[in-house]
Amino acid sequence: MESEKTAEIAASLHRLERAVLVLPHLAKHSAVAELVSASGMQEVEVIRALNWLQNKGMVVLSEAIEELVTLGENGKAYAKSQLPETRFLNAIKNKPLPIAEIKKAAGLTEEELGASIGALMRLGAIEPSAAAEKTFKITATGSEFARSGTPAQRFLSRKFPAKAKELPPEEKALVSELKKRKDVIREGIIKNRTAVLTDLGKEVARKSPAATQTTDRLTPEMLVTGKWKEAEFRSYDLTTPVPRVFFGKPQPYREFLEEVREKFTALGFEEMTGPIVESEFWNMDALFMPQFHSARDIHDAYYIKEPRHATDLPQQLVKKVKAAHENGFGTGSKGWRYEFSEEKSARLIMRSQTTACSARKLASPDLKIPGKYFAIGRCFRYDVIDAKHLADFNQVEGIVVEEGINLKHLIGLLKLLAREFCNTSDVKVVPSYFPFTEPSASLYAKHPKLGWMELAGAGIFRSEMVKPLVGKHVPVIAWGIGIDRIAMFRLGLSDIRELFSHDLGFLRDSKVV
Amino acid sequence: MPTITFSYTDFLQLLGKKLPLEEFGRLLLLFAKAEAGKFEKETGEITIELDDTNLPYLWCPEGLARFLKRILGKEKGIAKLNLMHSSYKIVVDSSVKKVRPYIAAFIAKGKKLDDYLLKQLVQMQEKLCENYGRKRQKVSIGLYSYKRIAFPVHYKAVPPDSVKFVPLEFDRPLSLKEILRQHPKGQQYGWILQDAEKYPLLADDKGEVLSFPPIINSNFTGRLEIGDSEILFEATGTDEESINLAANIFAQNMAERGFEIHSVIVSCEGRTIVSPAAKKEKMKITAEAVKELIGLKLKEPELRQLLLKAGYDAEGSYAVVPPYRADIIHPVDIIEDVAIAYGFDKIKDEPLASYTAGEKDKAAEIINPLRKIAVGMGFQEIFSHILADRNSMLSGSGIPSAAAAENEKNIVQLENFMSETYSAVRNSLLPGLLDVLARNKHEDYPQRIFEEGIVASRAGKSIFECRSIALVSAHPKADFTEQKQHLTAFMRTLGIEFTIQKAAHPTFTKGRVGSIIAIGKPVGVIGEISPAVLSWWGIEMPAAALEIDLSALLNRVSGQ
Repeated sequence: MESEKTAEIAASLHRLERAVLVLPHLAKHSAVAELVSASGMQEVEVIRALNWLQNKGMVVLSEAIEELVTLGENGKAYAKSQLPETRFLNAIKNKPLPIAEIKKAAGLTEEELGASIGALMRLGAIEPSAAAEKTFKITATGSEFARSGTPAQRFLSRKFPAKAKELPPEEKALVSELKKRKDVIREGIIKNRTAVLTDLGKEVARKSPAATQTTDRLTPEMLVTGKWKEAEFRSYDLTTPVPRVFFGKPQPYREFLEEVREKFTALGFEEMTGPIVESEFWNMDALFMPQFHSARDIHDAYYIKEPRHATDLPQQLVKKVKAAHENGFGTGSKGWRYEFSEEKSARLIMRSQTTACSARKLASPDLKIPGKYFAIGRCFRYDVIDAKHLADFNQVEGIVVEEGINLKHLIGLLKLLAREFCNTSDVKVVPSYFPFTEPSASLYAKHPKLGWMELAGAGIFRSEMVKPLVGKHVPVIAWGIGIDRIAMFRLGLSDIRELFSHDLGFLRDSKVV
Repeated sequence: MPTITFSYTDFLQLLGKKLPLEEFGRLLLLFAKAEAGKFEKETGEITIELDDTNLPYLWCPEGLARFLKRILGKEKGIAKLNLMHSSYKIVVDSSVKKVRPYIAAFIAKGKKLDDYLLKQLVQMQEKLCENYGRKRQKVSIGLYSYKRIAFPVHYKAVPPDSVKFVPLEFDRPLSLKEILRQHPKGQQYGWILQDAEKYPLLADDKGEVLSFPPIINSNFTGRLEIGDSEILFEATGTDEESINLAANIFAQNMAERGFEIHSVIVSCEGRTIVSPAAKKEKMKITAEAVKELIGLKLKEPELRQLLLKAGYDAEGSYAVVPPYRADIIHPVDIIEDVAIAYGFDKIKDEPLASYTAGEKDKAAEIINPLRKIAVGMGFQEIFSHILADRNSMLSGSGIPSAAAAENEKNIVQLENFMSETYSAVRNSLLPGLLDVLARNKHEDYPQRIFEEGIVASRAGKSIFECRSIALVSAHPKADFTEQKQHLTAFMRTLGIEFTIQKAAHPTFTKGRVGSIIAIGKPVGVIGEISPAVLSWWGIEMPAAALEIDLSALLNRVSGQ
């Protein structure tokens, strides 16, 4: 069992891993540098292979930090052309000389001259001549140094870099002495990496076929020549992480709306559309919303700057709607009893509710009775934008136009919507209020996680609305779904602004349902 | 939607019945179009949100208790009001006709105001005036300590500078004109009188000012205090029905609180009205009409019982509407109440019977295949707001400031925008996509993004809306060639031949931008985004783009 496992590991080794694993050096503790030279591979390849092997428990890598001593620029020069004090000594090897001449003969700067005198005096290699002022002569010790070099000069000619730890005490003293001079000695650290095989590594190494025997990639040439028959393909480590790829993706909210569109067509609803720049006529008047209604305040809708008025309103229909507002248009209603302004009716705004699409459909000559219609549309409200409100959002809305339908069918339809959109039959239908429907109802559905939530509003259009648009009274059930909220639940969002996110990272990571 | 707060103990006293909070919440939802909100244990107060903006009589504990008494079967029909007749008079001068023509009033006596009752009166006054009275324009209400007033009271309109009095919360007299400028309520409600030459004024027979409707009461007479037991109520406004409704609601509420209600005579040019005018309107409700709207087959007695339960009186085949309601304009309004009284939860649902064929909008036929292809070509879809920053369509699209004014005329702009960010309707999808690039400089490249959606532009008195699709690629080698490949893929999918003609476009680099010509006309633009535009957005990566007007192609494609 154990050996089967090692065989499996051996078979899945990467080309580089295999090459490193079989190096004899690895059996004992070896420096990475040695492994590199022994393998004939590049350093990065060896290090990569060692890291992989270490992750798999076949190698232990260790790292030792070492302090090193090397020569600086001046140090290298002095090693070659000798230290100033050596040159000083050589200049007076045969006879005492005055300072000025020593300086000239040895080619010293003023600074080097001073340093040399100090150093040589300390070594007892020179002494001032008694005969003449500012003249130096060589001592016996000095002669010895002139022949075999000063300790500093000898030190400079040793092999560098030197490991600081291994230097004898006298050389350590020289290092601290020479460090006082400009760029003679440099100190640094190196990291010495060493590697050694573990028991598992040793076992795998024994099982591993030679690096050259496995094939990494199948090539077209191997297929043409049939060489693939002899090839043994290296097994992969399937857990290795791979670089990320960015592919095309639909936007999740947009895709959700497409799903809604599919669902309503499947339920027998025909799609209706309408303009987003809409007249107050279609947006409100045609819905029997009185012109003084609070939702028609300047603070609730966006008004267009220019042009201000629609020029294409159906004038005959405007007259009928006006009559409905003023006196009920023969529907048995008292109407709103105020003076309807046709100018206000033509005022252009951003559509504030998709019910405008329903109004246009009811007035359209191609209205089918019975008919079912839906709209998915952008609506606009004058709202402060926060986690729950947008100035620009989507509504899904629809109507059912059919003789003989009533509140019972409306409740049935709402329950159907709950099943389709919340996947629940646990619903409550309660009375509600909308300005253009009577009766009006709200649908609450029990979300498996979030509890009771208001899912949709619905009602039966008032005949003051229907009769002017259709030309006769016919029951029309209307419903609207707060689709943005359902989308947030579906997509797991808590901030409504994320529905229209411009954050590419978020979109690239998002689930598309 | 109005929200009200009241003591639950007080409410239960009015209801005359114990009711667990949970059951109260259920009843509100099922019968009153209302939702119970927070219950504060410490104060014993409950907050309620009401859905129906047309039913102000429910916006107070008195009205809710009255309504639920009927639903629970403790009482039925219209609540009685024992109105005592008095000779107190309000004389209306014809000068108010132009500015605020109507007034209704009554006097309530015989019960001392306590702190809670005063708070409830003020809350009801506020809700009624703000929500129903359209921020006091249609209806405003004044309450006065009756004993300081010398009757008859005069209601007239006066020049803004002619009268001075000390308004509530002030210690010095101000003229009406000064009140509009200096008093907080004047600043808040002054707009109601902006076109008026004369301002409404209520003053007593000695000339002492009661109030300046609809702005502010006098600090002397118009201040109700705890312990007051004689109160004058008045409502002024622009709609007779609404001021009467306000008076009727208050009279009924205060009567149920134990006050005696005394009428006031309102006289105007010789015509006198006894206020509050408690007119009871009748409307014919047949079992047949009920069946048609709500599907319930009810026998006449059942229907009558449901009308009584809903708070109407029933007289033969007529329903009598209570004077504290003014929302009934059509029989359907009453039939809905019948359905509510019956119980929505008891109404059995029925499925729709007819089969109809579902169908998507024609535009989807061309849009969805193109979206799929864009995704297939490696593009991330973007879904943006349609409202956009005007500036992104001008300088953000490379239009020089000298030409901005001319170009601005083609943008559909909002008159009352809240922030520049959403101040106009986008005229192209490109600025939105460039915004995505600008916000995502830290994200890995290549960035390939696209959007499909509505754009609009203006030409003189007309506004044109169309569907558009745009693609943008941003990476070190993004260029014209790449976009031309995408364009070819799109057009081949649609089966449309196209050519590219040299064009000038401020968003793109000169000489690397073309107009896409198909079906004999320009339908789009393709090119490399100019470095000037990229740097305006702060984008540090080359980008190339294309945009196609799909509406132009739609007819052609669906016509094939």
